[in-house]
Amino acid sequence: MNEIVRKTDEQLIAEFQGGDELAFVELVDRYKDRLINFVYRFLNDMTDAEDLVQETFLKVYKKKHAYREIAKFSTWIYTIAGNLARSELRKRKRRKTYTMSSLSFEDNEFTPVDPDMDTEGVVFNSYAGEEIMKAIKQLPEPFKTIIILRDIQELSYEDISTILDIPMGTVKSRVNRARLKLQETLSYLRE
Amino acid sequence: MQNNECIYVSEQFTEYQDNSLSSEIRARVDTHLAVCSLCRNTYQELNDLLNRLHDLPAVGAKADFTENLLSRIEALNQESTWQKIYRSSYTRVAGYAVAAGFVFALGLNIWIDPISSVSPIGSQRIAGEGQVQKTSTDSPLASQVDSVEYSKSDSITFQRNTINSGTQSLQLVSDR
Repeated sequence: MNEIVRKTDEQLIAEFQGGDELAFVELVDRYKDRLINFVYRFLNDMTDAEDLVQETFLKVYKKKHAYREIAKFSTWIYTIAGNLARSELRKRKRRKTYTMSSLSFEDNEFTPVDPDMDTEGVVFNSYAGEEIMKAIKQLPEPFKTIIILRDIQELSYEDISTILDIPMGTVKSRVNRARLKLQETLSYLRE
Repeated sequence: MQNNECIYVSEQFTEYQDNSLSSEIRARVDTHLAVCSLCRNTYQELNDLLNRLHDLPAVGAKADFTENLLSRIEALNQESTWQKIYRSSYTRVAGYAVAAGFVFALGLNIWIDPISSVSPIGSQRIAGEGQVQKTSTDSPLASQVDSVEYSKSDSITFQRNTINSGTQSLQLVSDR
């Protein structure tokens, strides 16, 4: 049987460190969508999210030897992207140009619509999605990051612990508090 | 009305959902949810919220994302050595430091000797004389004018000596 064995991320980055650029392209293909989805939840702007993810990959390309196989590649790249996203948010706050209008979802081309769903359902689903994103945006920074990593990116507690450099117990309690806070913020949706 | 047990149970919700509580704590949460409608509702709403979060439409990269990225990398690799040196922050800082040092040295030189630093060599005396004439109008500085005039004559004397000694030297040669 000629079975193709899928290489791990760690094998690919090791090959890239050894000079194989195709391994880098494979890593880009594996992570570009996940990272854009992740960064987009912070920035709420597709163009900025794409730019920032490109910056993330450029950092990986230029600093490939900074990676050591003591952590998973995924946590390393999420850490880079997360730091860039938070840095961008801080810049925006300083510029004070981050208005509520920029929170609107303008990138409809990325929103798949279920053809079986009735019109009212589509409208409510879209509205609820927007409201959830607005509520996430309003969460304090540590809660926002943890909700995005755990409930949208669906990363493990262990990975989140590594990315945020906090103990696992803190991750779990923060997830719990963040969810309750988000639920409280969105309580008007149920009325 | 929330009590301490409600608070304790709400703190366990995440691990309760993950099914990672010890059997003892899980039983305690189950017991409380069975009797407290407020917490039961909160827990149900939390589940709904999680479903909504998981159902949020995923966004992804545009079709030309990888191509654009590889173009940027190619451009980066094609930079000339000088561009790379310039882009290096260490090199830039060193360049700025050298420039700042040069400007400082020039400024120091002007501050110490403002006339000779800025005037052409051939006009040194003229510039000095101009300054003397200007200061001579101020009566409190009259003594300074005198001393400058004195030094002017000194200079003339020195020049004469030079000429004389030159003549003597010539004479010595011719005597041989």
